[in-house]
Amino acid sequence: MSFTEKTASLSKGSVKYHVGGEGRPILYLHSGGGIRVTQPVLDLAENHTVFMMVTPGFDGTDYLDGVDTMEGMAELAKEFIDSEIGEKCDLIGYSFGGWVACWLAVLHGDLVDQIILQAPAGFRGKDAPGLPTDPAEFVKVMYAHPEKIPSEDKPEDVLKHNREAMGHYHSGAPMDNALVARLGEIENLVLVVHGTEDGAIPKESMQLLKSKLNRSHLVYVYDAAHGLEIDQPERVSLLVNDFLARGEGFLVNWGDEAAGFEAVSKA
Amino acid sequence: MRFSYTHHMPYTGIKQAGQDWPVANNQFDPVKGSEMFNKYVEDKIYAEQTGFDWIGCNEHHMSPYGLMPNPNLVGAIVAHRTKTAGILQSGNILPLMNPLRIAEEYAMLDIISGGRLVAGLMRGIPHEYIAYNASPSESYGRMGEATALILKCWTETEPFGWEGEFYQYRAVSIWPKPIQNPVPILMSATSPFSSELAAKHHAIAGILALTSMEDGRKHIENFKVNARKFGWEPTPLHINIGMNCCIAPTYEEAKTILQAGQEYFFGVLGGGIRTAQKLVVQKTRYYHDQEVAKAQAQKFVNMRSGAGGMSFDERVEAGLMICGTPEMAIDQITNAYKELGMGRLGMTIKVGNVADEHVTRTQDYLRDIVFPAVRHLGEPEDPAAAQAAE
Repeated sequence: MSFTEKTASLSKGSVKYHVGGEGRPILYLHSGGGIRVTQPVLDLAENHTVFMMVTPGFDGTDYLDGVDTMEGMAELAKEFIDSEIGEKCDLIGYSFGGWVACWLAVLHGDLVDQIILQAPAGFRGKDAPGLPTDPAEFVKVMYAHPEKIPSEDKPEDVLKHNREAMGHYHSGAPMDNALVARLGEIENLVLVVHGTEDGAIPKESMQLLKSKLNRSHLVYVYDAAHGLEIDQPERVSLLVNDFLARGEGFLVNWGDEAAGFEAVSKA
Repeated sequence: MRFSYTHHMPYTGIKQAGQDWPVANNQFDPVKGSEMFNKYVEDKIYAEQTGFDWIGCNEHHMSPYGLMPNPNLVGAIVAHRTKTAGILQSGNILPLMNPLRIAEEYAMLDIISGGRLVAGLMRGIPHEYIAYNASPSESYGRMGEATALILKCWTETEPFGWEGEFYQYRAVSIWPKPIQNPVPILMSATSPFSSELAAKHHAIAGILALTSMEDGRKHIENFKVNARKFGWEPTPLHINIGMNCCIAPTYEEAKTILQAGQEYFFGVLGGGIRTAQKLVVQKTRYYHDQEVAKAQAQKFVNMRSGAGGMSFDERVEAGLMICGTPEMAIDQITNAYKELGMGRLGMTIKVGNVADEHVTRTQDYLRDIVFPAVRHLGEPEDPAAAQAAE
């Protein structure tokens, strides 16, 4: 499965994106690490057309004038859906992208169907420890299995720039109180996914989110840290694909039929 | 020093030593079994009156040495009939069971007892895996994952799902939840894996079969090193040592009683499980590390005869048992504390076929003479710390 890099011309300027796969469209909003076509993304592309929009300022791209808030990013994502996807789609937001996804669901929930929030940022309590600046310590809180980080990963200077780019969109406050106040407006079915070893986003953030979202499910992925898709790709794939295929029915044990996402894709 | 009362509830109606696995249950007389069972329950309840801080129940399968395949049933009776003692389940064997069921039943025990549960989370001894047709090779993985899942069941404030290697649940929200938060947990700490896991979850470290002081010190030190790795420092109340105990008017009498009980335990009651243990330890990856496997295999031998094949007297001299007069017991507990620095001591008094009246007599000696003399050992000076440790 290969992904193609494309450019969308939107009202605020050009936005890069990667697209791959075939099937029901899904918009993937990336984390602070930028675009990463992980195994779960490849698995998703087996039965979805996956649109991975590059947040302006990430992965060597330029910022766009007038797009410098989380709400602004959500508006840009809305325009991206209108322009490039052209129909209602599912939505995945991972970490920083999960934060944007929540704003998109608040502002334009009618444009998206089911939503998956993977360890979304934006809901950290004031007492939650900040991320370490030491690269080795940073890796420790991000990955339960750093040995699985692909060798072709981005250079540290790109990752560093990406992390700094997050600051372009928010003030650095750990809790987006304005968003929390509006989470109850989201009517979409939401799956919140969190790693049991996540050292970047505390579980209390997920519990808060779960308590505010009207139609949501919180699932812990065992032995995964913040880098869920790297630490436990099979578990994430199985969960995400089952949720997308069955909606609320993913709660039911479907026996052999639900043994894996492959079975779902063949159905 | 805090004391726990361990009683395996053995079936003492069989005579033949060295039986193979599994010991045939055509030797079980249900009428006798019922009498024993009810007497044993009363013994456990009496332990509260004799000053024991915790009353223990433990899970073993398909063996005459323990009539509690589900210790939670006995724990529920004890919880209902006692007022102050901790209900120590030491414990449910996680890799054999549905972790949610354990979380639920333990929560029930905490509710029934008004918040007195001490939750033992155990991997079990090897023969249990043959009994329940579970893969010994998966025991480490299941143990680690089940522990994390059970703790989530008790502490999550919202319904949650679980996507793991061995367990998958899409929606969990147990009823009832325990009173205590956190629930105190006891885990074994006698292998590198178990020690690290216990430290990770801030458990009380159980060294339930002391085979030598050197071994005990090593396990405790390993546990402390692991705890520091996870950012905390164990106190004496985080260390629980297990020993056999018999107290009588003279050393000779105590020795005669306990030695015979141990011989019966290892020779008659333990025969079948040793065969099964050998199979599991030698033929599977129950222990990941061959050196650990060897050490554990030796441990089974050492439990019977001490490290290096000691005589009964030598084992008493080495401090591996509490045996003798009440005054000797005071010295032995004091010495063990000096050697190991533990704040908790688990005592098995009903060892094998030790007569029930001797069990009661030992309990009474402990209450009247021994406990008052050694209570202060290992206790935090700060009452708040003692409270926190509880």
